[in-house]
Amino acid sequence: MKNEQYNNKPKKIIFFLLALFFCAAAPVFAQNIKVAAAANLQPVMEVLQKDFKQKTGISIDAVIGSSGKLVAQISNGAPFDVFLSADMDFPETLFKNGFAKQKPVVYALGSLIICSTQNIGFDNWERLLLSARVKKVAIANPAIAPYGKAAEQLLTGKGILDDVKPKTVYGESISQVNTYVTTGVVDVGFTTQSLVKEVADKTPLFYKVIDPKTYDPILQGIVILKHGADNANADKFYKYILSPAAKSIFKAYGYRVQ
Amino acid sequence: MDLSPILLTLKLAGITTLLLLLIGLPFAWWLSRGKAFFKIIIEAIITMPLVLPPSVLGFYLLLAFSPQHGLGKWLHDSFDVQLVFSFPGLILASVIYSMPFMIGPVKSALQTLPASLAEASFTLGKTRWQTFWHVLLPNIKPSLFTATVLTFAHTLGEFGVVLMIGGNIPGVTRVASIAVYDSVEKMDYASANNYSLILFAITFVLVIAVFVFNRYQAKSPLA
Repeated sequence: MKNEQYNNKPKKIIFFLLALFFCAAAPVFAQNIKVAAAANLQPVMEVLQKDFKQKTGISIDAVIGSSGKLVAQISNGAPFDVFLSADMDFPETLFKNGFAKQKPVVYALGSLIICSTQNIGFDNWERLLLSARVKKVAIANPAIAPYGKAAEQLLTGKGILDDVKPKTVYGESISQVNTYVTTGVVDVGFTTQSLVKEVADKTPLFYKVIDPKTYDPILQGIVILKHGADNANADKFYKYILSPAAKSIFKAYGYRVQ
Repeated sequence: MDLSPILLTLKLAGITTLLLLLIGLPFAWWLSRGKAFFKIIIEAIITMPLVLPPSVLGFYLLLAFSPQHGLGKWLHDSFDVQLVFSFPGLILASVIYSMPFMIGPVKSALQTLPASLAEASFTLGKTRWQTFWHVLLPNIKPSLFTATVLTFAHTLGEFGVVLMIGGNIPGVTRVASIAVYDSVEKMDYASANNYSLILFAITFVLVIAVFVFNRYQAKSPLA
């Protein structure tokens, strides 16, 4: 009997310590907000996370994916608090279907670039795409990735979509396009300007910013989702993304801000 | 409904299975003889695709096939062959990916044959290959059937590797498993369901065939 009591003592202490830990940790866990972010934001997201943590002490769990994929996940009950899209249509759809707290607001304008690991000269990139020099062109899946949609629109506008199609490979998001470009498995890819800054010290990239007049502006929208509606931290993050501090970070990564 | 992903998948599985019959049978025979340590190592390497995430294989193939350097560059410069984002690339990936399904059952079956069988054949003046072809293989028919069907079925189910190196090109690398994923991404659940049902039906029939066939052979189904 005595023995048992003696044996129970450490267990009790461990239980007490665990309970204490969870009580102490509970607010810390609750503080974390879950952010779903479009794949083009991958390079800039880390910087935003750091800056936001420094300013508020709040940690962010970011999930990166194509906008369309994230919308599908949110529509099926994924527990995200805030959604940063690569366009306005996807968050608009979420709002219409009752998954978002309010209408989306533009936080940045994306810049489409054509880019390669080889210095092949992009002065006349339309002709380059049609030449034998380029065998594979990577584009994000236009159905779910707004940057892919913009690229397809651009090629349609130049009247070369059908000629480039046989050379086209589709990434499931702009992230996969970035992988294809930086590993050199494709000759060129249409991606986001923020990639160039991110990999500058690892992989020198040759690129040209596409004239913004040749495709519909990539207006990137943010919404607070139903899941984060009562979360004060989600609200803080939302305000932060629209603040001058975040805007200057976006600018540094090649986005335009209003 | 666009049937090309289904047809492409069947084509990929068919070619992969044929190639693995050509490569895998002699290889399994070679592995079944002797117990040298390096054979164990080789067998372990062949078995790796069973336990590794397909994305790992996909990742290394992506690096290996890149036309920028190494093997990929050599293939690109010498033969103008590019294996990423191409059907031949998927075939190569599938051969690696499904190899354990062909080699495993055949090797085990060959090892269970009595040694006297081959010896009798040699005594009667048959060469090694004649013996393998006319004596050993006919004696392991059930395992051969199982290995062939499962290799085919397993290739139908390939996904992770293709996602990494395929590029989702309609008619070239957009196989059925990718078409399912793609349809779900677009929230086109009707298409996803169509592809899924067809895949389910085909693979179910194949697996049933293996079990029924083995029942008559009085062997355990997956041996």
